[in-house]
Order: sequence, then C-alpha cells, then structure tokens
Amino acid sequence: MRVYTCSLCGFVYDEAKGSPEDGIAQGTLWNRLPEDWECPLCGAAKHEFDEGGDEIETVRTFSVVSDTLPEAKSALEKSILCSNLARGLEKQYKAEEAALFARLADFFKAQSEPADAPAFAHLLEQVDLDIRENLVLANDAAAEAKDRGAKRALVWAEKVTKIQKSILGRYENEGDSLIEDKEVHVCSICGFIYIGNALPDRCPICKVPNWKFDLIKAG
Amino acid sequence: MNRKYAVRSVRLCTKDCLCLYVCPTGATDTENSVIDISRCIGCGDCADVCPSGAISMVPFVYPEQQPKVEKVVAAMDTLLKSKAQQERIAAALPGRLAKALEMSNRIMAEDIVRESGYMLPQSGNSRAFLQSLLDEPQPHKFPRDAVETLLELLA
Ligand code: SF4
Ligand code: SF4
Ligand SMILES: [Zn+2]
Repeated sequence: MRVYTCSLCGFVYDEAKGSPEDGIAQGTLWNRLPEDWECPLCGAAKHEFDEGGDEIETVRTFSVVSDTLPEAKSALEKSILCSNLARGLEKQYKAEEAALFARLADFFKAQSEPADAPAFAHLLEQVDLDIRENLVLANDAAAEAKDRGAKRALVWAEKVTKIQKSILGRYENEGDSLIEDKEVHVCSICGFIYIGNALPDRCPICKVPNWKFDLIKAG
Repeated sequence: MNRKYAVRSVRLCTKDCLCLYVCPTGATDTENSVIDISRCIGCGDCADVCPSGAISMVPFVYPEQQPKVEKVVAAMDTLLKSKAQQERIAAALPGRLAKALEMSNRIMAEDIVRESGYMLPQSGNSRAFLQSLLDEPQPHKFPRDAVETLLELLA
C-alpha cells in the first residue's frame, strides 16, 4: 500500500485507509480512484498528488537582482499594513491600540478605488503570475538572506496561492455549482480556503485548530 | 531586567484554579477576569501554575525587530502589491467565493507585509509609517487623531 500527498495542501491519501468521508473504501488503490476524484481538503485534481509521504520541495537555481526601492504604498496597501499592525497589537493584548489601527485600516480600505472591470479570470492570471514569478523571486531573496521568517510566510503563501489557483480553475469550469450547498471557510491565520461540508480539525497549511476559521456568509 | 506583566486569555481560562491562590497581590482575582495590571508585580507565579496555559507574561518593552535585507523587502513588496491587487479585484466581485478570495488575499498580504519589516507596531518602521501619514496630504475625513494617539501610545 502506498501514500500520495496533495502538492497543494499536503493532504495525504493512504491507500490502506481509503477516504471514508467521500465513500472511498479502505484498501482502494490510487489508480482505482475515480479520475475525477478530488482532494477532500482543497479540491485539487488527482494529478496534483505526488507519490510518497514527504512534502516535495522545489529547488530554485536562478536569482534576479532587484535594486529598486519600494514604491509608495497604495491606499489598499496602507490598509493591509494597518490591519497587520492591529493584529500585532491584539497579540500584545493592547486592545485600544489595535482598535485605532483597525480604524485606520477601514479608512484606507474605503479610500481604495474599486477595481474596474473585475473578473475571476484576472484573478487567475494574477495568481499564475505569483506562482511563476513573484513567489519564486521572493523565495530566492529569503533563501539568500537566510530570512526564515520571510520563508515561513512564503511557504504558507505559496500553498494558499496554489489552492486559489486550483479553486479558480475549477470555478471557471463549474461556475457557482462549485460552492452550491457547500460551506466556504477561510483560515484567519494563513488564508487557506476550504469548500465543503466536513471542515478539517486543523488547517492543512498552517495547522491551527479550526476555530480560527471564518465561515463566509452570503451577502 | 525586562519587566513583565501577566495577561489572562479569557478564552482559554477555565476559571477554577490556582492562579487565584498564588498571586501575592490579588491581581488575578477580579470580577471581570482581566488581571489587574496596576497590582501585578510580574513575579510569573500565576503563569507557572495555570493548567490551561491561559496566562502570558507580557513584556513592557519589546526587543528590536529582526533586521530585513533590502532585497527581501523589495521582493516581498512586489508580492504585497500583487496580493493587494487581487484583494481589490475580489472585493469588486459578487458572491461567497469572491468574499473568501478577498479575505484570503488580505491575510496573505498582512503576513507578507509583516515579514517585510512591519512585525512590531512599536518599531521604527511602524512609527515612520505613522509619521508619514501625518506628513502627507490626506483627505478630509482622515482620522488624524487615531494616528496621533498611536504615536503617543507606541512611544
Ligand atoms: S505575575 Fe505575580 S503578581 Fe502578577 S498577577 Fe501573576 S501572580 Fe500576581
Ligand atoms: S489558573 Fe489559569 S485556567 Fe485557572 S483560573 Fe487562573 S488563568 Fe484561569
Ligand atoms: Zn491556516
């Protein structure tokens, strides 16, 4: 019996155990799983799985030098910076300061111009760009600087971004039936998106218990 | 020595035990479950006996945050801009999936900006950011008072 690991979220399919939640009996071999079987955690297709129990680490060999200074932050980026600092202050049990930063975050979010001609297809393009370039370059920079904090954020972001890509790809084909009669949750720590009705106990990406997830409601 | 004070997580506290007995000043025994900082002398005894890990000893002064290399900052900033852009697009789309994507991008972006030199709200970077908000022209409803109060509180 072998195991197969989802390259997106790390879910392990163990042939010995099957996947009783979605009606796959114990001892079901990988090649006997239906071709349209999906990862029960993140919905990835079968081909996203790798044989073996260990996480596959990709090796980067190229590196691009960037010596441009960061540009000024947009209103939305300021909002993100403020809501990040609000979180930091919550952790420090500083409620008053956290509330002030949350107010600033709301202000800047409201200041941000809505996107014109928004489309799910644009999200898919941008997610692709992150996977092909932005995450690769950031990973290189973090590795070169031995910055393990940045590396941690990037490991999570890379997984969540790939899961977004898988979700957006399926949404393109299935449309709203993708989430029909299903709950949608977001991990408040890493951004993992769960679609389904059997919320895992822990986030498959950052491992926090599931009370850290937010249920997304309509409207 | 870096002075500390005790903070109780009301969510984790099971409200039945030893921290009430060991505190030399009675700071842990309050009607609203919040430890009385004005009485706490920072001995840490309550945190040691708490069976639920509900009490943290929090420093008054935080250490300097970890330095960030310029190249990491630049690369993280590019990624931040991309995630912000995606949050903006998702925010303009209807439905639960769009909402989840908006939130997911925000959470990643927060983590990315945190790792580009904005971990600690008390840091020089965070204060410089707040100061820049006061120095730049701002629209009329800008909550200037919030920024000023933060600069005072985080001094
Ligand atoms: S640290 Fe010491 S003084 Fe402060 S609340 Fe705990 S036991 Fe009481
Ligand atoms: S010892 Fe811990 S769990 Fe018990 S009452 Fe005190 S804070 Fe709560
Ligand atoms: Zn998570």
